[in-house]
Amino acid sequence: MNEKELEKLSQLAHISLTKGERDALTIGIKKILTYVKQLQEVDTQGVTPCFTVLQHLSNVMREDIQEPPLSTELFLSNVPSSMGKLVRVPPVLNS
Amino acid sequence: MHDLSGILLRQLFIKNELSATEICNFFLHRIEQYEPALGSFLSIFSKRALYKAEELDAKRAQNKPLGKLAAIPIAIKDNIHVLGERTSCGSKFLSNYRALFDATVTRLIEEEDGVILGKTNLDEFAMGSSTEKSAFQLTKNPWDLSCSPGGSSGGSAAAVAARLCPISLGSDTGGSIRQPAAFCGIVGFKPSYGRVSRYGLVSFASSLDQIGPLTTTVADAALMMEVIGQHCKYDSTCLSFPLNNPLNQLKTPFKEKITLGIPKSFLKNLEREIGQNFQYAVESCEKLGYSIIEVDLDILNYSIAVYHILSTAEASTNLARFDGIRFGNRSLQAKTLIEVLDLSREEGFGFEVKQRILLGTYLLSSGYQEAHYRQAQKMRQLIIESFKKVFEKCQMIITPTAPSAAFELGYIQDSLEMSLQDIYTVPASLAGLPAISIPSGFSSKGLPLALHITARQFHDNELLQLAYHIEKSQPFIQKIPPQFDDNGD
Repeated sequence: MNEKELEKLSQLAHISLTKGERDALTIGIKKILTYVKQLQEVDTQGVTPCFTVLQHLSNVMREDIQEPPLSTELFLSNVPSSMGKLVRVPPVLNS
Repeated sequence: MHDLSGILLRQLFIKNELSATEICNFFLHRIEQYEPALGSFLSIFSKRALYKAEELDAKRAQNKPLGKLAAIPIAIKDNIHVLGERTSCGSKFLSNYRALFDATVTRLIEEEDGVILGKTNLDEFAMGSSTEKSAFQLTKNPWDLSCSPGGSSGGSAAAVAARLCPISLGSDTGGSIRQPAAFCGIVGFKPSYGRVSRYGLVSFASSLDQIGPLTTTVADAALMMEVIGQHCKYDSTCLSFPLNNPLNQLKTPFKEKITLGIPKSFLKNLEREIGQNFQYAVESCEKLGYSIIEVDLDILNYSIAVYHILSTAEASTNLARFDGIRFGNRSLQAKTLIEVLDLSREEGFGFEVKQRILLGTYLLSSGYQEAHYRQAQKMRQLIIESFKKVFEKCQMIITPTAPSAAFELGYIQDSLEMSLQDIYTVPASLAGLPAISIPSGFSSKGLPLALHITARQFHDNELLQLAYHIEKSQPFIQKIPPQFDDNGD
């Protein structure tokens, strides 16, 4: 993990970072990556990866019947910036 | 009244010896008195709780049927929704967020006439083992105010231990109910994965997260499981069958001979005091007639590494929803849409959360996914299989809950070191097994120590039953921290 890789990660994860954070994160992430390397020593050939501990779980479906939706007013009560019934955001494309 | 369990409070209410309003007022008064020193609550619902209590008194006066939690004051971790109230997750990102619906567990508690007193402090987004990562306040350990209550459900644990309420709810991804319960000298139960609906719990790592109770007695934990261990159609991982009468089953003798497994070599480096206390617990179990055998679970030495990979990978995707557009913090500095994301997340998240998201993003990025994430999933499978093999020889496994008693606030700074706190609790999370922490004594400094019991998948009742039997034989169960043990009533 170096500064350049961290920069790339911060773009992928959409989190801007300050210089101080960058230094601490490079060290912190490197430390954990070194720690988890121990897993490489185990031979897992032929082992099926575990996706869920509920081994018999299959897709859970329901009848295609509409349930009462969340009201628009209630939804908008948490929206940081709105206009009428719309969520307001800054321009998506730069003019 | 502060020393009464939830079950006893309900009985006194049903028998007309106490009103719901009296009970509610009593605990609200304790909160007012002690909360400034403790810092366990992020919000307190005095008005809402008293309104509910008055309703219950009216209900009783009219001889209407009363629920299983009637008049019991309950606190809820602040990552679980209560309609109309704040759900902050201990994060600046959600400091103004109000829940738009009730979590299923909230609904079930209210349907059974529980009185919700407020929301408790936690590490930001439940990521931590000391509650120090909350963006809002420190929570203190009621046994020693200079110590951490553990985490991430530290607020829920401290509130119950200080008897500011008899019962609380927490969430547990790698030990977040059990470790704080251990540090605070109370009971903490993590049900089997899928046993309790997570609808309305803010997700951290979805293949691991479970909601469970923190209580002063095993019977109260069983009571809570009777209420919240229900199928819910809004969580597709939630089991289709309800938990069958855990409370009734507590007092019945076991149908088969119970053997307990000890993973001796996995426990080889125990701190001296922890080791002695664990030995004492093992001897008590033997005296109760349980057979003890040694089992091989050395693979669990890898569990923290597996947990780091899986939980951060899942967290990085789960926390992608915090974009500052539909809810939560939106940066005032943002001039473009991308800046809304980048800056809102920078301002809203604390260091630990950022580190986990970035690490998870790294582990899932192309080129690394196979080497890390896939390998961790395979290791998880091997851990599950090792547990299955061990459970052919014994019904339950016992270990200490944590490698140490509560540590001083500020003592552990490094997040890798902090995660090693969960070495004995993470395995049950990875395998989706039910596990409980119950008090097992005190350290030389007077801090609580605890025993951790893990049972077979979906054998939650059997686990509660064993914990109940052990609890009955222990003198230090239900001890109250001296500073909070006044008879205000």
